[in-house]
Amino acid sequence: MSVVTGPERPQVVSHVQQALSYTVFDCKWVPRSARLLCLGSAARGTGLIQLYELHGARLELLREIEKPKPIKCGTFGATSLQQRYLATGDFDGNLNIWNLEAPEIPVYSVKGHKEIINSIDGVGGLGIGEGAPEIVTGSRDGTVKVWDPRQNDTPVANMEPVQGESKRDCWTVAFGNAYNQEERVVCAGYDNGDIKLFDLKTMSLRWETNIKNGVCSVEFDRKDINMNKLVATSLEGKFHVFDVRTQHPTKGFASVSEKAQKSTIWQVRHLPQNRDIFMTSGGSGSLHLWKYEYPAQRSKKDSEGSEMGVAGSVSLLQNVTLSTQPISSLDWSPDKKGLCVCGAFDQTVRVLIVTKLNKI
Amino acid sequence: MPVWLREHSWRQTPTAVYLSLPLRGARATPANIFCSEQYLKVSIPPFLFEAILYAPIDDTNSTAKIGNGNIFFTLYKKEPAMWDSLTLANADKEKLQYLRENAVVKAHEKAKEETEAKKITKQEHKKYALEATMKLEEAERKRIEDLKEKERQKVAKELELWKKQQENGDKYKSIQKKGELHQEIEQLKEIKKEKTNKTRIPNEGTSKTRPKPTKGCGGSSSIFSQNLKEEQLPAPRAPATIEVNFTPRVFPTALRESRVAEEEEWLHKQAEARRIINSDLSELEDLKEEEKNPDWLKEKGNKMFAMGNYLGAVNAYNLAVRLNNKLPLLYLNRAACHLKLRNLHKAVEDSSKALELLTPPVPDNEHARVKAHVRRGTAFCQLELYTEGLQDYEAALKIDPKNESIEKDAEKIRHLIQGTMQSS
Repeated sequence: MSVVTGPERPQVVSHVQQALSYTVFDCKWVPRSARLLCLGSAARGTGLIQLYELHGARLELLREIEKPKPIKCGTFGATSLQQRYLATGDFDGNLNIWNLEAPEIPVYSVKGHKEIINSIDGVGGLGIGEGAPEIVTGSRDGTVKVWDPRQNDTPVANMEPVQGESKRDCWTVAFGNAYNQEERVVCAGYDNGDIKLFDLKTMSLRWETNIKNGVCSVEFDRKDINMNKLVATSLEGKFHVFDVRTQHPTKGFASVSEKAQKSTIWQVRHLPQNRDIFMTSGGSGSLHLWKYEYPAQRSKKDSEGSEMGVAGSVSLLQNVTLSTQPISSLDWSPDKKGLCVCGAFDQTVRVLIVTKLNKI
Repeated sequence: MPVWLREHSWRQTPTAVYLSLPLRGARATPANIFCSEQYLKVSIPPFLFEAILYAPIDDTNSTAKIGNGNIFFTLYKKEPAMWDSLTLANADKEKLQYLRENAVVKAHEKAKEETEAKKITKQEHKKYALEATMKLEEAERKRIEDLKEKERQKVAKELELWKKQQENGDKYKSIQKKGELHQEIEQLKEIKKEKTNKTRIPNEGTSKTRPKPTKGCGGSSSIFSQNLKEEQLPAPRAPATIEVNFTPRVFPTALRESRVAEEEEWLHKQAEARRIINSDLSELEDLKEEEKNPDWLKEKGNKMFAMGNYLGAVNAYNLAVRLNNKLPLLYLNRAACHLKLRNLHKAVEDSSKALELLTPPVPDNEHARVKAHVRRGTAFCQLELYTEGLQDYEAALKIDPKNESIEKDAEKIRHLIQGTMQSS
């Protein structure tokens, strides 16, 4: 693992810090604006959505919305740029889509799962990619469901354990490979280390593997291109980068893994402006910035002549410790390169700026 | 007896005395010379030169030069005066003694003082060095802090700039949009006149998901523009279900939950047990090959138990145990036989031995442990040791809470205990 040294390293500058009076589970930038959302759970057991605006060196609270159930995760991925509706998953298994201008009644609501929705992702919106807008949710009840906001009540795809089998909690989901109107894949990570890749065009399981430790977060480097790289982070400080361009019939995808820190890696997020740079957040309150380098040849032929991928290497650009509690959520701003927000379990949300990313 | 050196020669000036001492072949080192304020001694065994000086000298500044078989002293007088002679003439023995001792003591003290002074200067030097390094480090830290501050400020300024751009951009865009929408409304009004109800229904159907007026846009006009766009999106997918299997594990727990160490131990123990064959070959020579295999003997014993031949089963298990005394299942099954034969004490012993061998407790040997506890409990009860029996039943229940027959038996025993307590 090589480290870029010297004053040319990207620096992580903490711009604003805001103390909250509730536990924040997810934080997201509102696209095309300097506003951000914090989703979480208040002490009295209700859900909170707070909308902040960045003013100079502080965050100004614009709006606070309270909901009956604590909210675990949210995404803007499936909404258009004009509407900017927020899709949230809550502790009760409900999927709701809210118009933040009129949040009393959700625009779309369904009790999707029997248990808490751990993770949510959206695709097809925000002017990125093509195809129908869809939302995927992964829950503790072991199922992964894909929803279309135009179809009420039933999911358009459901990935559930075989009848009678014991179920494992699904901890994370991500969309990928949405480069035209038909293609979509969903990647799901479970608590026993399983990673499964579902192809929505053929409605089948395309690939699966097990990385031994529970998978906390998966993300493709871009949702709207032919699937290129997939990063999966897990407990005990490890993360794996899979080169998903080339699938070998038996060996699957090539990967490189890195053990970054002793604690759980809670989140991985790729920089929207550069798909080879990603940031991981850890249970020790630290953030690590990584760069992936491609190998000289991305695929090679094995002994039987089938194509096999070659994994590259990962190098650490910078790391910084911001808090003593885990940083559970992380989001890059799609509009300003290097601007990101992170929320930690010490009830603070921090806006950070990562400098010198142009020089990487 | 020292040999006195007496052939010295000296001369003097008002401030100093120059003494020359021939050494007669002896070699001198600085250690041989001892000098104090009024006493001078050179001792190179066996030679000795001693002089009580006429007047005190400044012994710190005085020097002695050793060379050419000669020591040349340069002694600086304390008081500039001319001496009548080098030594005190009328020096009696006592004065001599006193002066000698005094000299020695003084020299000691001087040495002490010198070491003290040295120590103090050393400490001061150290302190100084430490302070200097601290200053350097402070300076370095400050420099880094300043760099960081500058970065921060630069970045904050850029952010402000960007925000302003965003706001201006938004305003511009919204003005543009208003213009566009007005145009669109004109166009669509014309299209509407031509189209029939067909276009109306989709409007109403999808109006549920229509947004309330977004910033800067007219309300109704946005519906039309969105409608056009909607027709370009594909229809929702046909619903389907994909069934998945999760990775099976020998022990059905994820890595973080498994007590891997204990499970490894258990597996290891099992493997070990399989390998042990403790046999006295002499007795067993006349046995057939298969009869030497503890597993085969276990199977035999099980069959005999099933048929009701308990004594035969016990024999088979005995032989198996002799061959391999680490297999817990042998003891377990033998305990069952003893129960049937009403050899209750032996049953207790065997169940206990089985439980011993079934450590560490892991999900894998749950069944075996439940059986062992139940058998031991039964034996205790038949021996009328009801409290012990109840303990075993409760242990069995702890491992397997869902087993109804164990529950019932435990209840029965509890009643029995209460019954005997009441009567006694």
